[in-house]
Amino acid sequence: MTDTSATSLSDQLAARFGDTLTLSTVRNETTAELAAADLIAVATALRDEPAFRFSELIDLCGVDYLGYGQTEWDTESVSGTGFSRGVEGQAMGRFTWAERPRDSNHPRRFASVIQLLSIEHNRRLRLRVFCDDDSMPLLPSLTLIWPSVNWFEREAFDLYGIIFDGHQDLRRILTDYGFVGHPFRKDFPLIGNVEVRYDPEQKRVIYEPVSIEPRVLVPRTIRDDADLMQARAEAADQWREN
Amino acid sequence: MGMMESVSGVMHNPQPLNLVDDILRPAGDNPVVQRGFATTSVDALMNWARTGSMWPMTFGLACCAVEMMHAGASRLDLDRYGVIFRPSPRQSDVMIVAGTLVNKMAPALRKVYDQMPEPKWVISMGSCANGGGYYHYSYSVVRGCDRIVPVDIYVPGCPPTAEALIHGILQLQKKIRRTSTIARS
Repeated sequence: MTDTSATSLSDQLAARFGDTLTLSTVRNETTAELAAADLIAVATALRDEPAFRFSELIDLCGVDYLGYGQTEWDTESVSGTGFSRGVEGQAMGRFTWAERPRDSNHPRRFASVIQLLSIEHNRRLRLRVFCDDDSMPLLPSLTLIWPSVNWFEREAFDLYGIIFDGHQDLRRILTDYGFVGHPFRKDFPLIGNVEVRYDPEQKRVIYEPVSIEPRVLVPRTIRDDADLMQARAEAADQWREN
Repeated sequence: MGMMESVSGVMHNPQPLNLVDDILRPAGDNPVVQRGFATTSVDALMNWARTGSMWPMTFGLACCAVEMMHAGASRLDLDRYGVIFRPSPRQSDVMIVAGTLVNKMAPALRKVYDQMPEPKWVISMGSCANGGGYYHYSYSVVRGCDRIVPVDIYVPGCPPTAEALIHGILQLQKKIRRTSTIARS
């Protein structure tokens, strides 16, 4: 019987790859962080070697760590005032293009996260690869190892601007034809830069600079509500009885 | 009471309006059968023809399209009003914009609208099509499909129920009956 626990996978990976991978196991899920230069060699080994056999790539996505860990609004004060529609947003993505944050205190802003599945061993593994250069995030393409990654890499390129070296057809996949920018980047304004309208004179749909102001919807955050605490206490009691 | 009446109005065929609809009456009450002829105005005849067979262009964009399908399915059955969904704009005279209209789809929507023969009407279904709705502040969503095509009826809701859509279609029928193509006001 194959051992499916994440600890043994972590041990196996550490024994096989050594310092190439930085391993962490949280909630029985193993994450391996590695350098972009090692990605192709490690991915090939993970797919082909009998101990791993990660034959299936489940997902690849981009991540932008700009503003990582910063809260958008103060939930403590908002919970007292209730639901509001007209709050001025403070976090990334709530700015117009001219006001976009430009500080680069976050080294290695872009990463790509890859989810793998080994059907043979019934195990999963997550890889995280940071891009070395923020101004031109570049990663090697995995299309020759797992062909299913093709559209995922196009998606990550479209939304985050991560360039996958070696991809045969790196086009945008989701956004509008002729779209400028990468909308899931945290410095991309949520309202965008252009809006469309039909022009009856030109008899076609035209693009214009965006005309509205960005606004943030702040939902009411309930933390210390009396009913909620009562329900919690009752649930705890019931738990003890059972 | 008023609620039940309106629901009943949605669920059953509209009452004859003493216009051309008289020919639909049963034989004993039917002036065409009794006298052999009927008189009407050309406008009433045209409006009767137009409201009796509004064929919508199927333009489902999001979850509203599922409610549109419910309206067309057997329980509410839009066929009773002569509403038959068409796959081609050339055969349609109503367009139901059901769902979120994104920037990428906007030129295609306008092209389909332009391909529909005159006279043509547009029903905007749901918050997203009415004014962007939940995605009003998004970078990729048109803030109302009336920025792209002229809209006759707005059906509110997120999504509107199938009954609400049928109510919107009946409102559009009323609107068409009010137009006079021949007679000058």
